[in-house]
Amino acid sequence: MTEEAILQGCLKNEAAAQRELYNRYSPKMLAVCYRFAHNREDAEDMLQEGFIKVFSQIHTFQNKGAFEGWIRRIIVHTCINNLKKNKRFNESLDIVHASGVQVREESVPSIVQAKQIVECIRILPIGYRTVLNLYAIEGYSHKEIADMLDIEESTSRSQYTRAKQMLEEILIRKKILTKPREKTDWLVAIR
Amino acid sequence: MKESNFYRDDFEQLIREKTEQYKMYPSERVWKGVHNSLHTKRRWFIGSMSLLVTGILFFAGRELITPSAHTSFVRKPATTAASIAEAQKPYLAAHLPHAALTSFHSTANTSSSTRHNDAAADDHSAGLDPTYKDISITLSHPVIDPSDLSDWLSRVQLPDHAPEIPVIAARIATGDGGRPAEDAAKVGIRPGSEQASLRDGVEGSREPAEAADADGLSARSVLESLSARGPEQARNARVSGHLAKNKDNGTVTADGLISETVSNASKASAGAIAETRDRQRINWLHDYAMNTLPDPAKRGRTFFQLTLAPTLNYRSLNGVDPSYEKWGPINGFNGSPSQMMNHSPAYGFEFGGSILYRLTRNLSVKGGLLFNFARYKITAFASNDPGAPQGVSLSSYYGYVVDSLVRRNNGISQRSSATGSGPVTMQTLNNDYYQLSAPIGMELRVLGNERLQFNVGATIAPSYLLGTSSYMLTDGMTHYNKEPNMYRKWNISGGVEAFLSYRVGNIRWQIGPEFRYQLKSTYTSQSFISENLKTYGLKIGITKMLP
Repeated sequence: MTEEAILQGCLKNEAAAQRELYNRYSPKMLAVCYRFAHNREDAEDMLQEGFIKVFSQIHTFQNKGAFEGWIRRIIVHTCINNLKKNKRFNESLDIVHASGVQVREESVPSIVQAKQIVECIRILPIGYRTVLNLYAIEGYSHKEIADMLDIEESTSRSQYTRAKQMLEEILIRKKILTKPREKTDWLVAIR
Repeated sequence: MKESNFYRDDFEQLIREKTEQYKMYPSERVWKGVHNSLHTKRRWFIGSMSLLVTGILFFAGRELITPSAHTSFVRKPATTAASIAEAQKPYLAAHLPHAALTSFHSTANTSSSTRHNDAAADDHSAGLDPTYKDISITLSHPVIDPSDLSDWLSRVQLPDHAPEIPVIAARIATGDGGRPAEDAAKVGIRPGSEQASLRDGVEGSREPAEAADADGLSARSVLESLSARGPEQARNARVSGHLAKNKDNGTVTADGLISETVSNASKASAGAIAETRDRQRINWLHDYAMNTLPDPAKRGRTFFQLTLAPTLNYRSLNGVDPSYEKWGPINGFNGSPSQMMNHSPAYGFEFGGSILYRLTRNLSVKGGLLFNFARYKITAFASNDPGAPQGVSLSSYYGYVVDSLVRRNNGISQRSSATGSGPVTMQTLNNDYYQLSAPIGMELRVLGNERLQFNVGATIAPSYLLGTSSYMLTDGMTHYNKEPNMYRKWNISGGVEAFLSYRVGNIRWQIGPEFRYQLKSTYTSQSFISENLKTYGLKIGITKMLP
């Protein structure tokens, strides 16, 4: 089934087309949710809520961009809205200097690098993790992040800087990165 | 959205690439949540349907348990028949000459001339006013020349003394008031009533003299109009001449008696004709519905039934060891084998097919074939008793000979004192029977409608023992033995069952308990022990109408 056919089917509220769309994008979107969420269960709740929004607002999609990107934005916004309901998340955004994160070698399963990196991101404090997800992975600007999270743009920048440093440190400690960040040849080791 | 320096940082690019590769597969719960949220109409539909089905089941169950009275149902068609007659008056007026000229038959003749089945006729007539059961008029010759009515009238022999004609009859005959036949019946008009009369008081507010006058004229006009069609107007005039009115008491009289049938149509009156007409209208409608309207699809009477029943099998033991019979109870043991045995029920099954023939709406007879596997368990000691009788070859896995009994004493199994010494071990033996039976019986619908029913049934089944793997007691009840020759090949059993059945499309499903008892002993008469198998089962079946 083509994407166009899926879209038309979803516009007609056909369950088969909706299922097809869900099957096609839910794995990627769950990974997105998982990076934001506290655990897999929360991620699935976010995914469910996000897809309900996708299907109920699909008539607003105007074919101006990639369909996947449109879905992704809805999912990310759903995740952020969910996080904002959490008091701990709001408090964590105000923390400028996050304390050191206890990383154990065995806490990250060494199955594949993608999974390792995602798991390492999830080790980050929730505030750092959210800004990192939004900026580095989802591609939002600090201004957009600031609007989304109701924080100062400078806060977003500082949170991101610290998140990046912390993630780098975790990756090195997990031996996913072999060298300090100043020397970029460690990238060879990953790629 | 993206800042220009997004991909400037290799670290960020790396993170992005790697996370994009990562996929997770959500559980089915997520999609169910999405789907249920999106398709609430479907959910409402399912909920509504569930509610509806629950409601139907509730009312069906209530009807099944406490069926409502059908009096209202019976009364309704009477009213309906009258109203139909009323509504059909214009149509009947055009066709009445045919109806009026029909031959009158007795009820016996009527039944022979109708082609609908009796049951349907009974159903229909049951709905009519009982008054109309007294007389039955059918259109045995639907097309008759209208002029025959005059001939009919000319053959009428008028009595010397005219009876009083009921005013209501005259009114019905003229059709002026449109009074339904039901009303006529209510005021007491009956065929053959010699002095059927109706005073003005019955008629309500009408002025006595005027009413009598008008009614007399109406009755007369009927006869005149009818007689005018015939060739012998003189006789017709005689008929009308017998009409008289009595202004003093407000009754209309005629010099003729009302006759029910043409066969003895020696007496007639206008009231009788009018009443007869009215009845004819009703009966014409009846016959029209029965003879002219297309028959409803004939329902088959033959059904095929498949059944399967997990069963729990047991037995009852009777008979007394002759030695105990002679000497009486010894140490409390009276020689009954059931006192010696430690046996317990076991699961079996049965399946088969039957042909059902529906005799009436509620009663069906059936016959078929049934395979039955019955089993029960007995407990025994295995020992190497040297005194075991010849033919005992029940070696256990341990090398012992299973030849001794377990005596049940106060519910505790213990070794029988009749057995010899030696090492023993407890064993459970299965007594298996494979039987083929041909049950014949009947099923009776007790409650319910065509869809949901509660039925009871009874069968009697000649059975043949296909095979057995069972142990029987030896004489003296000291040992178990396998002795196939001691088993009765042919037997007979009776069974009862009750079940709920529900029709889904062409298939009727049924489920219910059954009990069967083997009427004759499993063993031949050579054995002093009588064993009767008992089977408790949960019968599940489907029934389908045969074309």
